Amino acid sequence: MTILDFKNVSIDFPTSKGVVHAVTDISLSVPEGRRIGFIGESGSGKTTTALAAMRMLAKPGFVSQGEIHLNSLGKTDILNLTDEEMRRVRLRKISYIPQGAMNSLNPVMRIENQIWDGIIAHEGAVTDVELKRRSDVALNGVGLDPEIVGPLYPHELSGGMKQRVCIAIGVCLDPDLIIADEPTSALDVITQRHVMQTLRDVQAKIGAGLILIGHDMGLMAQSVDDIAVLKKGELVEFGPVRQIIETPQHPYTQELISSVPLVGGESFLDPAPATPAEGFKTEDGTPLLELRNVTKRYGSVTALHPMSFTLDGEVPKIISIVGQSGSGKSTMGSLMLGFNAPTEGEVLFKGRDINRQSPDEALTFRKEVQAVFQDPYACFNPFYRVNHTLKFPFERFGLSKGADHTTEAMEEACRAVGLAPETVLGRYPHQLSGGQRQRLIVARALMLSPKLLIADEPVSMVDASLRATILKNIHDLKDRHGISIIYITHDLATAYHVSDYVMVLYKGHVVEAGPPHDVIGDPQHTYTQLLISSIPWPDLDRDWGSPDDARSALEGLSELEGQQEAILRGTIPGFKLA
Amino acid sequence: MGRIPASYLMNRLSTLVLTVLIAATLIWIIPRLSGLDPASAALGRMAAGGGSVANADEILAQLRSTFGLDQPLIVQYLLYIKNTLTFDFGLSTASFPTPVATMIGNALPWTLGLMMISLIITFFIGNLLGALMVWEHTPKLWKAVIPAAMVFTSIPPILSGLLLMYVFSTQLRWFPLSGPYGLNVEPGWTLEFFSSVLYHGFLPAMSIVVVTFGFWALGMRGLMITVQGEDYTTLAKAKGLRPRYILYRYMIRNAILPQITAFALKIGLLVAGQVLVERIFAYPGMGKLLYDAILTQDYPVIQGVSFVIILMTALAVFLVDLVYPFIDPRIRHGG
Repeated sequence: MTILDFKNVSIDFPTSKGVVHAVTDISLSVPEGRRIGFIGESGSGKTTTALAAMRMLAKPGFVSQGEIHLNSLGKTDILNLTDEEMRRVRLRKISYIPQGAMNSLNPVMRIENQIWDGIIAHEGAVTDVELKRRSDVALNGVGLDPEIVGPLYPHELSGGMKQRVCIAIGVCLDPDLIIADEPTSALDVITQRHVMQTLRDVQAKIGAGLILIGHDMGLMAQSVDDIAVLKKGELVEFGPVRQIIETPQHPYTQELISSVPLVGGESFLDPAPATPAEGFKTEDGTPLLELRNVTKRYGSVTALHPMSFTLDGEVPKIISIVGQSGSGKSTMGSLMLGFNAPTEGEVLFKGRDINRQSPDEALTFRKEVQAVFQDPYACFNPFYRVNHTLKFPFERFGLSKGADHTTEAMEEACRAVGLAPETVLGRYPHQLSGGQRQRLIVARALMLSPKLLIADEPVSMVDASLRATILKNIHDLKDRHGISIIYITHDLATAYHVSDYVMVLYKGHVVEAGPPHDVIGDPQHTYTQLLISSIPWPDLDRDWGSPDDARSALEGLSELEGQQEAILRGTIPGFKLA
Repeated sequence: MGRIPASYLMNRLSTLVLTVLIAATLIWIIPRLSGLDPASAALGRMAAGGGSVANADEILAQLRSTFGLDQPLIVQYLLYIKNTLTFDFGLSTASFPTPVATMIGNALPWTLGLMMISLIITFFIGNLLGALMVWEHTPKLWKAVIPAAMVFTSIPPILSGLLLMYVFSTQLRWFPLSGPYGLNVEPGWTLEFFSSVLYHGFLPAMSIVVVTFGFWALGMRGLMITVQGEDYTTLAKAKGLRPRYILYRYMIRNAILPQITAFALKIGLLVAGQVLVERIFAYPGMGKLLYDAILTQDYPVIQGVSFVIILMTALAVFLVDLVYPFIDPRIRHGG
């Protein structure tokens, strides 16, 4: 018995530049109680397809062809319902759990009111006592205490709690189908595991079907029964999760699966390191970067506890700083870039305190230390062609020997990051994809021949298939161009592959550090172990733990407060953590 | 949330007092920089009225001592602050010897009544229309008409006043031409008097509403577009809530918050705001009082009116500071 059937559904977006076919001829059924994963990259039509079932397509999109049947209705094709009939289907028959956990709740309404208004909208007058009982059941179901959480406002909850409230809203009317649109993408892995387990738990309890939209193959493998792989609006492969993961048929599925970095798995980088480029000189005895008892406090909150390390420039290397949001890793990045001064201690670059430099030294520092940030969309000024972003620092730092030389340098830098210059140069940022933009940012940094690159989550906003490419570009900077790199990330698997040394940060303390094969391959600290066991691997035989495990992991975090002693696991030449 | 902590209240109150003090000081300093002597000016008016004035020097000295201008500056200042804080603004020089406080006391209710009513009407109409410009369920006709109505925003209030006057008073004779109430009506707490006031106040209020609602509508439109794109609006729709409920409880409720701050700031301005509207409708409010005082260099009145304006603004901001945490739970008292 199927709940929902997509029959030859196509979705078009008429724009001024012609019709965009967002989804083409998709047919798919969701059986009762089964979990279906929609996986694909941005623009693959996975969210669009699911939203069509709720008739909530963003304007001007519309279903140009096909039928969507919700079988528990009298007349089943939802495309023929009136607006009022459709309104009654939402939440009661099909509920939606949105992506943006942070902003999905009305900031000026109490949590319980936001559960009640949904019930009232579908059932009319319900007594206060009954409403309270229903919201209590819903909140209890997702592991939240209704007495505490009910009267709170959204800003008083953590991201994970907010997302669990969204799940409570989604299941409070026992819908036939739950559509969860990347419900955990804004959460850290430990919280993600708990939220995902909660969702599976309540979905199984009410026996609803589930469509889980996502881009993370590992999360899919651990969460769903069947996977639908979408690419550019087409369903390229659909099958049981084990078949998709273990014996993918379509080349695109194979590519998606092989691009997921695994701890201990095969490296996606060239096994043989590339030879250093000519003219690469090693530094003298002074360390390239040194932190001396650097501490950062914001008011009464300590973002970073005293930290000291030295990194010499003799042999370029990649140091990874991993941790969850709030661990202090981005604070470290901005301290090393000199955007923030430490509260105590000093940051030295080539033996000079970067917060006490003369204007000339500061300029040299800016040239030699480059940054790549998370958001490839926000890094470009939308009013200039991308050339401007590449050219401007190059010319300003006096590296240009004329217009021809600049163009040559730009083209060379583009090729170095695997972009064909003629396809990207001369265009505006909005005409390029996120992956292209992020590679251009790497190219821009490369043009200045820096000594140190600080990359803060450089691939977290880029589609999975491109992550490997961009990380490879960054890795090449080390081997071919002799640039040392500080790689800041929450993604342990990529850190495992690219780095020479890993520091795991928790609440501003280093809890474990050493070569990646030790730290990530065989973690010793409780926190590192928690992190690694919370990662959903695209490996069906690897257990993701029970909901109880997830809850106890989350609770275990608070017990960690006591044991902040760092576990140091071996050293590498040229880097010393004190 | 909950009760307002005493420390927060003290903090806000001291800010309020400080603002008012600094403003009062500025009001005192600025006219003294002009170098004009109000006593001579008063004498000049007496001379103009009565032809010539005998023993002018004596009268001048007497006027100076009456006005307190023979005292040292610091004494003048402290006296001024003391008087101002007790709402004693001295005597008008132009309508000597009427106390300024009496003049302001007579004018303020008219302005507050007229302006507050028009501001409140504008606030509601403007914000509602702004919201309707964005709401997806607004009838198509409305969506076409509202932006066209924005044209009125570009008309100066004096013109809109004259236009309304011409159409509704002179031509249609629906509303009276000027004055705050009917000539044959005795002021008092009677229904007759109130209806007369409303009847007379309608055109001046409308002339303000017509030209200022666009300010609120355009501001609201921008805020609504932002709110419309928020995830909570999407989720509200996915919850199958009724469209009107979403409009009021999810969209307007959030979009209105910055507008409330703007509303408080407007209260202060509105006391002096529509000087010309009051002037053309011969409405005896603060605007007209200020206008007349400037024409006759009546410093005590100018100072008094300015002080009241500043006091109103500061009070309005103070009130919003107190009230805001109750309308936006993300803002807390204290901190």
